Amino acid sequence: MSDTSTATRLVKGVVLLALLVVLLALPLYVEEFWLRTGFAVFAAIIGAVGLNLLVGTTGQLSLAHAFFLAVGALTYVYVSGDPGGSAIEYGGFGLPPIVGMVAGVVMAGLAGVLFSPIAARLRGIYLGVASLGLVFIGQHLLNTWTSVSGGFNGRLAPAFDLFGFSFGGNEEPYLAVLGVPFGQAERLWYLGLALCALACWFASNLLRSRPGRALQNVRDSEVAASVMGVNVQEYKAKVFLVSSMYAGLAGVLYALSIGSVAPESFSLLLSVQYLAMIVLGGLGSVGGAAMGAAFVSALPLVLQQYSGSLPFIVEPGQPGIVASQAAAFLYGGAIVLVVMFEPGGLAGLARRLKRQPRPPQESPPVSTTSSAPADSSSGGTPR
Amino acid sequence: MSTTQLRKDVRPLTIDNVTVRFGALLALSEVSFSVEPGAVHAVIGPNGAGKSTMFNVLSGVYEVSEGEVRFGDEVLTGRKPHQIARLGVARAFQNIALSGSQTVVQNLMLGRHRLTTAGFVSAGLRLPKARNEEKRHTARVCEIAEFLELGNKLHVPVGVLSYGDQKRVEVARALSTEPRLLLLDEPVAGMNAEETARMAQTVLEIRDALGITVILVEHDMGMVMGIADRVTVLDFGRRIADGTPDEVQADPEVIRAYLGSGDETDPAAAAAHGTAEETP
Repeated sequence: MSDTSTATRLVKGVVLLALLVVLLALPLYVEEFWLRTGFAVFAAIIGAVGLNLLVGTTGQLSLAHAFFLAVGALTYVYVSGDPGGSAIEYGGFGLPPIVGMVAGVVMAGLAGVLFSPIAARLRGIYLGVASLGLVFIGQHLLNTWTSVSGGFNGRLAPAFDLFGFSFGGNEEPYLAVLGVPFGQAERLWYLGLALCALACWFASNLLRSRPGRALQNVRDSEVAASVMGVNVQEYKAKVFLVSSMYAGLAGVLYALSIGSVAPESFSLLLSVQYLAMIVLGGLGSVGGAAMGAAFVSALPLVLQQYSGSLPFIVEPGQPGIVASQAAAFLYGGAIVLVVMFEPGGLAGLARRLKRQPRPPQESPPVSTTSSAPADSSSGGTPR
Repeated sequence: MSTTQLRKDVRPLTIDNVTVRFGALLALSEVSFSVEPGAVHAVIGPNGAGKSTMFNVLSGVYEVSEGEVRFGDEVLTGRKPHQIARLGVARAFQNIALSGSQTVVQNLMLGRHRLTTAGFVSAGLRLPKARNEEKRHTARVCEIAEFLELGNKLHVPVGVLSYGDQKRVEVARALSTEPRLLLLDEPVAGMNAEETARMAQTVLEIRDALGITVILVEHDMGMVMGIADRVTVLDFGRRIADGTPDEVQADPEVIRAYLGSGDETDPAAAAAHGTAEETP
């Protein structure tokens, strides 16, 4: 039994390695559009993996993810951005972008800590309703605290750079690999890939270890978890903190991906999209969250790009279905299909392809196992 | 009884005048009894007698309205479940409360929670300290699984195991906490005769090998009378008898509680289903 589990782990490792090699080589071959889409996907994956720890693993519903993304994005643009603005003046510290990125994650974590006394005491859907309020508070703050947010029109996000190596803007120092010049899109791709890989690695380590097991048992039975020695409130608060820090990082990358932040980006719709990602991908699985995030975040961009050659989809401004609406229909339909036919999501589908039996949600009746030997013995009696 | 090597840190458990009220309903009423270190002590009674309530008090899930539970010098009442778990009190649940999608080993590792320290940072970054701890405790958990005859199912998701095996995983998980006091909530409920006999044997082995105290809530009279050193009988939230299995079986109050007083319309049916005691 342990032989097969090491074998599956080996196969999994090889697949992951191959995926990593492909992702590393991709900028040498594909167009800028796909690299920009890829960066947006990496950002979404980080956010989705974080939300999945909270919702999928711990069973705590949160609709506040957009709020924590906003905290991360806004902190980044304020800490690393310069003061400016014409109609609405806004401030900024102009600090190095890496400081802004770390500050974004820390501030989102702090916001999570402030909310954690509530998060620790509510469970499941009740937390979902309570967290809904945060989205509206966030919207209000973004629209009224104009010295930070730039108000209704938002503000530009400063380009990222690390110790003089620029990920945008001036593209310095010049870099070319195998004759392919590495511009902003290529550089951001690698930044996103590195952060995304780190985020997924951390989360899957967590799931396979002591805190992850405690969180999963909190989901399956709070009473059992506490009787086994898990401080349920503490773990609910901590996972909320971790989840909001993931959202903070996703928010920073989101700002870098769009190039600006505007209040309307962080509405309830964004929270719902993140929930769609993890439901579609498969609750509780890091790989599933990544697949779901890729699907939901890339779909509107891809449909937009190819709207000319796709039927039913029109350019924005014309009568008909625009790409973002078509994408919403498509992933809405996909969610219905997933819930009906494969509650394990894309991750469950992948497991099924690998012919790995998916454990049933409820314990099977005793008869299924006890009847098997009975059948074989009755088959032997006629002789 | 047996050549039990009693663990030195196993203390007597004292249930002192415990009352639990849910609104107007009196679930436990001034119940007192004590459990000797190293004993197999059964708590029995018809449905609705307050057995499960008693277990929920012992493990800290319910708060008492009055009274006190002491484990040696430590007062258990007023503590949270996870604090009681840290004192070495473990519980196997009647309605299986395992994580079905996780393997046997992963479920048992949850039992190591109180004995391990890896937090979010050290586990997430796979620091050497956390990895060593994981390896050490996995080895111990595999021994415990072996002890409960689950050795060939270590990496099987619990959800696909048979009901009897899931019950054994419940017991193994409780044992994985290295308890001084083990609470078994109907460990053989729903099991067939063979599985019941195996579980009864296992309970005795646990006590003899580990030298810990076992408290058992059970409906199966044959099993209780066969393995318990002492039996406490509850009815309608009151303690109606306490003694050795023989004493309890001869107690007129107990017979009345189980078979009815003779005033009932159909005492045999009532006894068979234990429905005569359903509280209004």
